Amino acid sequence: MGASTAAKRGAERPDGGAAEGMPAERRIAILLLAATAAALGLAGVYIAGGQPQAEGALLGISLGGIGMALILWARGLSTEGTVMGDRGTLAGEDEDVEAVEEAVEEITDEPGRRSVLKLFWVAGGALVLSAVFPIRSLGPAPGRALLTTAWRPGARLVDEEGRPVRVETLEVGGFLTAFPQDAEHAADSQVVVVRVADGEIRPRPGRENWSPQGYIAYSKICPHVGCPVGLYQQDTRELLCPCHQSTFDVLDGARPSFGPATRSLPQLPLSVDREGFLTAQADFDEPVGPGFWNRD
Amino acid sequence: MRRRVLVLLALAGGSLAVALLTVGPSGAQVRPPPTATGNQPAGPADVEGGRQLYAIACTTCHGAEGAGVEDRGPSLVGVGAASADFYLSTGRMPLDRPRSQAERKRVAYTPVQIRQLVAFVASLGPGPAIPRVDARQGNLPEGNRLYANNCAPCHSSAGAGGALGHAVYAPPLNRATPVQVAEAMRVGPGAMPIFGPETLDDEQVASIVRYVDYLRHPDDRGGLGLGHLGAIPEGFVAWVVGLGVMLMAVRWIGTKD
Repeated sequence: MGASTAAKRGAERPDGGAAEGMPAERRIAILLLAATAAALGLAGVYIAGGQPQAEGALLGISLGGIGMALILWARGLSTEGTVMGDRGTLAGEDEDVEAVEEAVEEITDEPGRRSVLKLFWVAGGALVLSAVFPIRSLGPAPGRALLTTAWRPGARLVDEEGRPVRVETLEVGGFLTAFPQDAEHAADSQVVVVRVADGEIRPRPGRENWSPQGYIAYSKICPHVGCPVGLYQQDTRELLCPCHQSTFDVLDGARPSFGPATRSLPQLPLSVDREGFLTAQADFDEPVGPGFWNRD
Repeated sequence: MRRRVLVLLALAGGSLAVALLTVGPSGAQVRPPPTATGNQPAGPADVEGGRQLYAIACTTCHGAEGAGVEDRGPSLVGVGAASADFYLSTGRMPLDRPRSQAERKRVAYTPVQIRQLVAFVASLGPGPAIPRVDARQGNLPEGNRLYANNCAPCHSSAGAGGALGHAVYAPPLNRATPVQVAEAMRVGPGAMPIFGPETLDDEQVASIVRYVDYLRHPDDRGGLGLGHLGAIPEGFVAWVVGLGVMLMAVRWIGTKD
């Protein structure tokens, strides 16, 4: 739709607004009346108790009607045809340009000023150099914080309500998320506790007494990028990470059997204390979560 | 002429958007499947009737007297009434193809037949009974919290279900009755873990059941829930429909008459 078409239409309709049939004034009037009715209706709906969708629709009709009326007014009634204004030239007069060029040359050609110009470079360089130091503001180095969690020898396992996990809490085929007692908000310490039939687990060397009575606990943080491994497929004894479908074999030390994870989930050594509560024998024997720069 | 078409398109798109935002979900109400047994006590006659039905339809996979058949079907000794009622009243059993995931489908038996089969399976060995749930006893915010912690990882925060490993999926919860939801927690059907009474007590189960029921008709502030699939479909509608209509409107405003 080019300018020529628009010009032709303008010629066909010398009054500049009246479309086929209805004059622009009447259209505008109808829109404004509709907007008025919708606004009153909006007030009515609100007083009657409110209904979000109806209120939204009425508000839309009211605002839209006023807007459409304004546009129609601007297009149809405000002017008679297109008005063109000259913009003038943007470039300066020739003698002005010359005068500026001369002035700049005068300023920079003086020998003393040239060395001052070099100082601009020096100052800029120093500023860039100073920007290196705020790297310190990123905070203290993590130290050993990434290597350990809140699990201490003898710490009881508690669920998300803070209730201690007892040896009869889970049935075979059950699972829950547990935290160390008195450190329930230590996000890096959460473990997923699974109970399988006693003797079903194939423990790794050195982990033979880590899973009493079929209870076995693994870090809930995926070693891939750290999502919670919160999905347990009971029939295949597999833990599943929802983010990238890394799958871990519960019976085989949470070895990754599918997906992008390359390391097994760290296993928490469990024991049952004399009162029947599940406790940790010690902290994990490896860092939890995804890899980091100085992880072994 | 083309301009008028554009205006019409803009109007149509606009009304479509309004309609989308105003109309609530209507396909969500599904007739609940017949709940199996009710609370009528099962008598010896039921066990006998169940035995006959079992011999016809279940023995091939689950073996005589529920002993199980290797590589075909598990033993049913000790699975309890809750398990049998869950699988039968959701139509998951009988299974179409052995070793495939049991899916909710048309219920194959009448409520009386289900009561008989359940009585027979329950007579094979002690197991969890059909839980009695009264969702009105549940606490909705508590149910929300428990659901988010225990159920949402697999069934999604809106109960729409989701994919798991090995081509298995967690089913949507919109058609499950309160009893079936409670049964699934106690029984752990298929890939689902068991949530026994020591993990979630009856009150907590009632709260979860109440929340699952709420998820069926959640309070959709925007109007259309778009299947409650989350931000991506919502963003899709906003960008394609909303922005499309706005672009057409801008073009209409900027076109010279």
